[in-house]
This record gives sequence, structure tokens and C-alpha cells, in this order.
Amino acid sequence: MASARRIKPIEGNPFDPGEPVQFQFEGRPLEGYDNEPLAVALLAAGVGLFGRSTKFRRPRGPVCLHGHCSGCLMRVNGVPNVRTCQTPCRSGMVVERQIGWPSAGLDLFRAVDLFSGKRLDHHAMFTESSWLNRLAGGVVRRLSGLGEPPSADPKKPVPVSRFQADVVVIGAGVAGLAAGRALGECGHNVVLLEAEDHRGGRLLDGATLGGWEQVGTLKTELESVSGIEFHVGTPALAVYPGDPLEVVAGNEGKTFWISARRLVMCTGAYEQLPLFENNDLPGIFGPRAMDRLVCGHAVVPGEPVVVMGDRDETLGLASRLAELEVKLAGVVTARRDAKALELLRHKNVEIFDERRIVRAHGGKWLDRVEFAPPDSPQSDLVLDCRTCVAEAPEAPAYELAHHAGCRVSFSSQGGYTVVVNDECQTSNRSIFAAGHVAGAASAAEAEREGQRAGLACALSLKDDQKIRERLKSL
Amino acid sequence: MRDRAELVIIGGGIVGLSLAYHLARMGMTDVVVIEQGYLCFGASGRNGGGIRQQWSTEENIRLAIQSVRMFKQLARETGHNIWFRQGGYLFLARDAETAAALEKTVKLQNRMGVPTRMISPATARRLVAGLNTEGVEVCSYNSTDGVLFPWPAVWGMAAVAGKLGVEINTFTRVTGIDVKDRQVVKVVTDRGAVATQRVVNAAGAWSWQIARMAGVELPNKPYRHEILVTEPLKPFLEPMVSDLEDGTYFSQTMRGEILGGIADPQEPSSMETNSSFRFLARMCNSMVRILPRLSRVKILRQWAGYYDETPDGQPILGRVEPLDGFIQLNGFGGHGFMLAPAVGKIAAEWILRKRDHQIFQRYDLDRFNRGETRREQLTIG
Amino acid sequence: MSRTIVCRCEDVTIEDLKQAFAEGYRDLESLKRYTGFATGFCQGKCCTAHAARFLSALKGGDDTVADPIRTRPLLHPTPVSRFARAVELLEDE
Repeated sequence: MASARRIKPIEGNPFDPGEPVQFQFEGRPLEGYDNEPLAVALLAAGVGLFGRSTKFRRPRGPVCLHGHCSGCLMRVNGVPNVRTCQTPCRSGMVVERQIGWPSAGLDLFRAVDLFSGKRLDHHAMFTESSWLNRLAGGVVRRLSGLGEPPSADPKKPVPVSRFQADVVVIGAGVAGLAAGRALGECGHNVVLLEAEDHRGGRLLDGATLGGWEQVGTLKTELESVSGIEFHVGTPALAVYPGDPLEVVAGNEGKTFWISARRLVMCTGAYEQLPLFENNDLPGIFGPRAMDRLVCGHAVVPGEPVVVMGDRDETLGLASRLAELEVKLAGVVTARRDAKALELLRHKNVEIFDERRIVRAHGGKWLDRVEFAPPDSPQSDLVLDCRTCVAEAPEAPAYELAHHAGCRVSFSSQGGYTVVVNDECQTSNRSIFAAGHVAGAASAAEAEREGQRAGLACALSLKDDQKIRERLKSL
Repeated sequence: MRDRAELVIIGGGIVGLSLAYHLARMGMTDVVVIEQGYLCFGASGRNGGGIRQQWSTEENIRLAIQSVRMFKQLARETGHNIWFRQGGYLFLARDAETAAALEKTVKLQNRMGVPTRMISPATARRLVAGLNTEGVEVCSYNSTDGVLFPWPAVWGMAAVAGKLGVEINTFTRVTGIDVKDRQVVKVVTDRGAVATQRVVNAAGAWSWQIARMAGVELPNKPYRHEILVTEPLKPFLEPMVSDLEDGTYFSQTMRGEILGGIADPQEPSSMETNSSFRFLARMCNSMVRILPRLSRVKILRQWAGYYDETPDGQPILGRVEPLDGFIQLNGFGGHGFMLAPAVGKIAAEWILRKRDHQIFQRYDLDRFNRGETRREQLTIG
Repeated sequence: MSRTIVCRCEDVTIEDLKQAFAEGYRDLESLKRYTGFATGFCQGKCCTAHAARFLSALKGGDDTVADPIRTRPLLHPTPVSRFARAVELLEDE
């Protein structure tokens, strides 16, 4: 089985890695690029164990690659719990793992996982006697915590800029860009906040379905629209309800405190992984994360790769991997049609019928995956692999809308979505929502709803016959 | 839900459950507890887990001493870890007036057996590495104060009381209290009614609403208090640190998070539980000022709960004349949790007529009419 | 040990959820507090949907988990240094 390797970057790649730099990983000099996430450089260098979970000391590695899980946390330049998938490499950076005694690689406290049976009830343990309880408390305290407190010099508080805006759009994916565009065309000033350094949202992970081209097109289209103030690399951190609404956003150098009359939430969704035994083993990714890693950053985490899923994006990713000469152990899917399958068969990739993952195996990184047919508890297929791409329903990123008290609705098909009416208005009259966060299922739908939200929002600020007609015509 | 009980406790927070717990252990199990939300819904599930004996009034000190003793046994008694860690409480006084008042309270605490010491800023810096004592006149420190994890204390007491026969109803709202000829006869809820001759009002910030249902006007007012928590880090902060100038407090939890809040004199009385940026800004500013190394520590979450405040900062306990059977156990402000074990036991003994206690005269509702109030000075948050 | 991890930040397993349900913690907020899911670094982004699905299946319907656990600021873990100076902009300070 092959470990991680770098491949040739794909043409049209929006993720320019920048210049090569050298950094320190636990005393070893490693190479990376100054615009490439630390997590990617580490994976490319063959680092698979990024950390360990606090309770069972199970191996942890990058999973989401989009800055919303806790798999890639490391200590960087004396600061604990740094999301290395969101941190570009810098020359001379000192990077270390945080948990494990005597070392992250060999953590004796993993014994807790190996010997504690089906459950470790932290509520009841050591309650037999009060002095034992006190003693245990001291020990448990020492074992807790993800990392040592910061040893870097205290940071001077960053400047905070406070201003007012008519409309703040959160998210520069398809929906957010469409909303921003509609509002700009209606003559309104829009502040558009985007957490990533690039616009495009999930289009950036849609290399396989022409996502990158779409990003370029959208960027060009927006050049002619005035009134939109873009802030990339500036994640929104909180929305406080009230009149006006308060949006707090920021990055390393500055914090924004914005009083907004209207909000348009286009925050998308978080990729999720399915549940199965040992689903937390490093080496298991969702299709978006894998797309970002392989297509975006040109790093293959380990071969062979198994891909499981039914979506066009997932199968498209599998065929792209085959095109890139990445070794595939198999594709597991319920789909029979799909152009992608033709391509895969042409490349002699084995295709298996619909199955679910029962169990993953491996020590500190994935070794093989066990599958079973959908209605059977008994596994009937084991595939040796170092990477597994597994699909699961996404979870809409409803948090910011929820901060402001917007109503959400639950579906076992995919988490909580923000509830909107026919005009994309949430239960808070000043807040609109569109895209995957409001339940859109495709880029086309997200764009349409984004446009609708923008127009409806414009209308709510100032009634206008022409805008009303445009809205009706959608 | 039972349709009759010897005693109904309104409020399934730590105070109400502590009473139920002790009553049950003393043999009285014909008790119904009514909680409007999930266990830990109210202040009992939202506080910072601080447990101190540094108080300015004898009664509070006495209750606190007893409660600390009881907290030390609670994990064993209930089979639920509350992770009580006696890492101490460090108070910072920034001017001569506060310092003098602090010294007086420390002397009182010493007289009652609490080993608090007045210490210099330099000594405080040795207790907390990196502490910024610029502008600090003097400090007080008691090593036997501490912090715990509040939720399991609530669950533990509920579990024991429940096992012994107390009925605990969650997600049940009290809608009325029937009184006939000055005698409580029934508690009405949205899930049925319970006939009873004795009702305990331990509803925290909702106490004034509950009291009104029985025709009683309490002077309690709810105030939002906000709190935040950081990422979990390895242990580096032993005591709870609190600044008496602005009521800032923070400590490190069992899991390694820094947890704390700050008082806001501008906060009006309300039932607001939304978070505010104002709090975040003020708390971060204070944290960086007191312990600069916190500047790089990441905040995970902020939330809010209520302090059930009374005009003198002391609780309202006991009977309410002329009613029979309506007992108050509320108004604990920001220190209900830490006094709950002792209060629950004392109230249980009193209800069972085993033992009377002066706090029921000291802290009765009528004291405001009599003008016999003594304000608790050492409040934070 | 082979485990199905629902919450990776706090190592909450599917067995933990089952046990909590068996002990009577049957609403999302109580389940969260008792098991610890969604109380870690990512504040539920990777586990809330799973936990809600689990509870919905046990309680017989999506409507039983219609209200999610209360989300609060901040969306992402952010250093104290980012907010301290906002006091300069408060009306009264």
C-alpha cells in the first residue's frame, strides 16, 4: 500500500500553492508551500497521525479539510489547537502534536480504549469513595485538555472596526453570490462575507463537475456589478438578534462589528461522514474533502482508494481519481447509470453494488474497510485501502441563523435547515436564507434561490415595482 | 403524574432537588417535583460551578461551610462525578475602600473557621503565573474554595431522590396554585393537577411568577448574566480568580476550559437569555487585563442564565404569612448552587419538623417590611 | 476497541447515546449534556445531525427532535484577543 504523495496540479486550479517554504515538525524539517494549508503539507510529507482524542486517545487526522471539525488540530508556534487545514505554511513554523504520553505516536493512555469495554462511564467511575474520587479527579484533570496553554507571547488585542450596512450576505458560494448580485443590481450596498480565501463555496470542491470554471464565470459576471464589498478570508463568527442585527466577523488582523438592517444567510452545509465502527480512523474522508485534497491541493493521502457513494459528485470524483492514475481498490455504489461508471469500467476499476460500511480497520491509519449489503448485518466484502471516500447526507450550516433565532426544521435525510417562505424570508423578517442552508439540493437551485432572496431582500428595504416583477418572474 | 402528594416542589434546579434529595433520604418520599424544562434548564445548568465560603454575612458563610463539606461527599452519595476541586478562590481588590471591606469580611470568615488569608499582589502572582496585578491593592485567598461541574450534581440528586420514590416531572409547567381559606390545596400544571397542602417555591428566576399564582408578591427580580467558555487546555490555573471592581470571575474546569463572566451594572431586569456582543467584548477585555496569556486562548461559546435577585442580595426562605403551606426557597442571586446542599438539608429538617433554623426567621419575606435587611457585599458575575 | 464514534471531539460513542437514552435522557439537550456530544471543539458541526437522527429513530419521528440544541456564538473557536478592543466602541465605556 502506498502512502501519501504529491501529484501534478490540475489545470485551472484556483488554489495556487505559492512558494516553497520549510517548517519544523517535531524537530524534523518538512517542506510545504506558503499558500498551502499546513495539514496538506503534513499529509504530503507522510504525517498521518495529527493527534489523539482526549478520552480514548484514538488516532486523529484531518477529516473535513474545511475548518469545521477538530481532526487537524496541532500546536503551531506555541499556540495550541490550531486548525492546520486553515493555516498556511510559513517559513520556520514550529509544528507539534499535542496529546500522547510518552509521545503522540505511542500513547500509553490508549490502554483506556483497549481495556475499557463497550463503554467508559465517566459519570460513575471512582465514585465508590470520596478520597478515591478526589485522587481520581486530580489524575483525570491532568489527562484532560487538548493541548498545553499558549507559550507564545500574549497577543495584543486586534483593532475592531464598527460600521453599519444595509445588507450583509454571509457566504460567497453560488447562493450568496447570486443574492449579492441581485442586491447590487437593485442598487443596494452589500457587504459579502466569505470564510474561505476564494469565492465559490462548494464549487471549489466541484472540480469534477466543472466547479472551477463556474467560479471563474461568476467572478467575471460580478465585476460589472457595483455596490458589493467583498471580504474573503473573513468568517462570520456570530449574529446577535435585535434591531439592527449585529454581525461579528473577522480574521487574524481585524474584527468587524457590523450593524445590519438585513441579513442574507448563504452558509451552505457541512460535509458529514456515515457512522460505522471505527469511523474515526484517519484516512476516511467525504467526497468534498477528498476533492479539495486531491484536485485542489494535488495531494493523494494514500492508495489504494475506495470510493463509496451515489451522487454525481462522488462518482465524478472517482472517475477523476482514475484519470489522475490514482490507484482505486473499488467503487461501491447503488447507481447503474452515470457516465462516470463507464469511465471507471474503461479504466478497469472494480465496481461493487450498493453496500454500507460496517467497520473500518487500521492502527493509526486506515488499512481496510468492511462492507455489508444494505439489509444484511453480515459483511460480505473487505477492501484493502489506505483512503476511503464515504458519502453521507450533509448537515446544513444553520448555526448563524439560529443565533438570531430563526426557525429551523429537521429531516433525518440531512440535519436542520433554515425554514424560509416563498420569498426566502426566515421567521425573522430581517433575515433571508438561500442555498443549501435552506434546503437547496443543487447548484442551480441554490443560484435561483439566492437570486430570489436578494430580490426579496431588496424589496423589503425599498418597495419597487420593477423588482417586484422580477421577483414574480422567477 | 401523581394526583396528590404530601409536598410539591416547584423547580427542579439544584435547590429544589437538594430539598427533594434530603427529604427522601430522611424518609419523606411522597414528594412531587415539577420542572418546566429538562433537568439543568435553569440557572443550575448555566452557572460557572464556583463554590466559595468567602462571604460577608455569617449566615452565608455558615451555609457555605456546610455545603462544601456536603459537596465533598456528593459524588460518593449519588454515584455521579461532580469533579469538585478545591483549588481556591482569589479575590482582587483595586482600591483602599474595597480592600478595607474585604479585610473585614476575611476576619469574619476566619472567626467562623474559614482559613481565608489577605495576601499581597506578589503572593497572588505566585499562585497564578502571569497574573497582572497592576492596579491591585490587595487580595484575599481561600484554598478550600473551589469549582465543580454542576450538571452531574443535579442529575445525581435527581437520580437518588427518584430511586427513593420522589416523582420528578420534567417538561411540565405550573399554571396555577389553588388556595382556599389561606391554605394551599392544589398545584395545577399543563399535564394535570396535584392536590397538596404544602408547596415549595424553588423556581429561581421564575419564583416571582409562581408566587403570584398563589397571590403572593415577591420582591425578586430576574437578571440576565452571561458567561463564556474557552477551548479545553491542560491544567494551568488553580484558583478561581475574581476582580471585585467589575465582578469578573474565571476558573479552569475539570476538562480544562476557562469558564467565567463579568457583572454588568447596565443590565436591566429581564427574562432575556440571548447572548450579547457587549458581554463578549467586556469579558475579553477583562480577561486580557487580568491574565494576559489568555489573549491567545480561543473562546468556544457564550451563553446566559438568570440570577434570581432580591433587594438585599439574600434569599427568601420559609413561610409566607398569612398563607399556610406556601414555602419559599428562592432569591439566591448568583450563589444558589453553592449553598444548595446545606439549604436543602436544613429545609428538609425544618419541613419534617425535626429542627427549626434561624435562617427561616432571618431571611423571611417580611424582613423587608421590618427593615431588617443586611446586604451581601461579596457578589460577582 | 471497535467503536462507532458519533462525536469525535468528545469520543461519544453510539453506545453512550443508547445508555443515556436508557437512563431517561431523552431530549436532545439532556442527551447532549449527559453524553457530552456537541460540547467540544467543533460545537456539534459533525455530530448534531447524527445524534438527532439517532434520537428521532428511537422516539419514532423527526418531529420529536424538531428543535435542535441551542446554538450560541461563536461559530468558530476564536482567540480572546479578537474581541477585547471592542470595548472601545461600546457606548458607555
